Amino acid sequence: MATATTAPNITDPSLYLEGIPHERFAEMRNTPGIVWHPYNDGGFWAVTRHADTKTVSKNTATFSSAVGHTNLWDLEADALEARRSLIDTDSPDHTRLRRLIARAFTPKNIRRWEDTVREITVDVLEEFMEKGSGDFVAEVAAPIPIRVILTMLGVPVKDAGYLVELSNYLVEGTGETQSLPADAFGNTTELRLLPFNSPASHALFEYGEALGEQRRNEPQDDLVTTLVQAEAEDGDRLSGSEYRNLFHLLIFAGNETTRTALSHGAMALADHPDQWARVLADPELIDSATEEVLRWSTPVLHMRRTTTEETELAGTKIGAGEKVVMWYASANRDESEFENPFKFDVGREHNPHFSFGGGGAHLCLGAFLARLEIIVLLQEMAKRGLSLNRTGEPVRAPSNFVHGVLSVDMEVAK
Amino acid sequence: MSDLVKLKVDTEACIAGGQCEMIEPDTFLVDDDTAIASVIGTGSLPVDRAAEVIDRCPAQAISIVNSDSE
Repeated sequence: MATATTAPNITDPSLYLEGIPHERFAEMRNTPGIVWHPYNDGGFWAVTRHADTKTVSKNTATFSSAVGHTNLWDLEADALEARRSLIDTDSPDHTRLRRLIARAFTPKNIRRWEDTVREITVDVLEEFMEKGSGDFVAEVAAPIPIRVILTMLGVPVKDAGYLVELSNYLVEGTGETQSLPADAFGNTTELRLLPFNSPASHALFEYGEALGEQRRNEPQDDLVTTLVQAEAEDGDRLSGSEYRNLFHLLIFAGNETTRTALSHGAMALADHPDQWARVLADPELIDSATEEVLRWSTPVLHMRRTTTEETELAGTKIGAGEKVVMWYASANRDESEFENPFKFDVGREHNPHFSFGGGGAHLCLGAFLARLEIIVLLQEMAKRGLSLNRTGEPVRAPSNFVHGVLSVDMEVAK
Repeated sequence: MSDLVKLKVDTEACIAGGQCEMIEPDTFLVDDDTAIASVIGTGSLPVDRAAEVIDRCPAQAISIVNSDSE
């Protein structure tokens, strides 16, 4: 068994302050079999190759999302139950939940929001251009996705600031430290029962429930109405806990991950002016450039599964009840899948990246929305001939889970 | 011309991931109301493209119609 002992600990959040430890991942990809990685009192199997990630992601019967937790640490059974969302379920629960809401995220139904996305993007972008410089995360990458998801959900404009604040506390909850006291926002629930162990989750639950109640009485053309009205053919509906967790998931996932993709995308284009020049010369490259931004940014670094039975992966025997972690950050740079994986190439033709998951049933629900937000930003930048220069180093999130950028100073190129 | 194969969607397994419609918009359509994909047009694709779309389906809901059983 290959064991990482003196090598960098890929779970150490502080490691990610310097960026993804790509060299270590390359070593692991080139180690035969699957590498066992210590973690707290135990450890996990670190899946780092593209092909193995796909195998794990697709085989949901052997590699479960419902057992233990989808993060590195285990949750106690009651906490897992209280926090369970679409992410922590297997079929048939997963299929049932997903089908109740999938309608809102089909390619065509997402295209209905294109004008909204464009309006918000133009608004944010023109303000940044007028100022000429600033923190790209705070001024462009963060406001676009949060405004889009709040509009889609039907959250009144007057409450947007409050939800942005709550959402930012959640992002903080993916790291090691929390700045909120346990009873913040009137929370009385044990923190371990709340997503991200954050009292902000309690506040989001409360807000979501009040809005859901309101929409149940006065339906609108928005996502919250869709959720509270969602009913399968057999009369199946979302339970109270399922609705709460889904509302929470949409606020977090619709915010943090796309923010990360836009931030890394803008940095990549600024750092590779030749690639941005190609897009400016040929806007038809925007689709492939969007996929490359997604591959390059890998907003979610990993997801965990737990084996339900003894199995074998890449020749390594894995016991039942063991943690298996798919490192998308590594699979997206696998040299046996991607030609020249460390090159940022806006025209890349073969690009089966795993930034929306490893190809299995847990494919990102918001994939087409995230794509639309990146496409529209690139289109509006190209339309204005806008090029960006990076004027400082990014401040990265100390997280082994999200590839977050907390801030990065950029300026409009003259 | 490369060999064509006819494809079908298992409507019980489909989760409306939309990958099929994205890769092969002339052959697959996700219904906006039911959020279930179905085959449109001839429902046929060259073998290599069929393999790709089968592989990309997150729910493993796409398969080749066995001509003997139809």
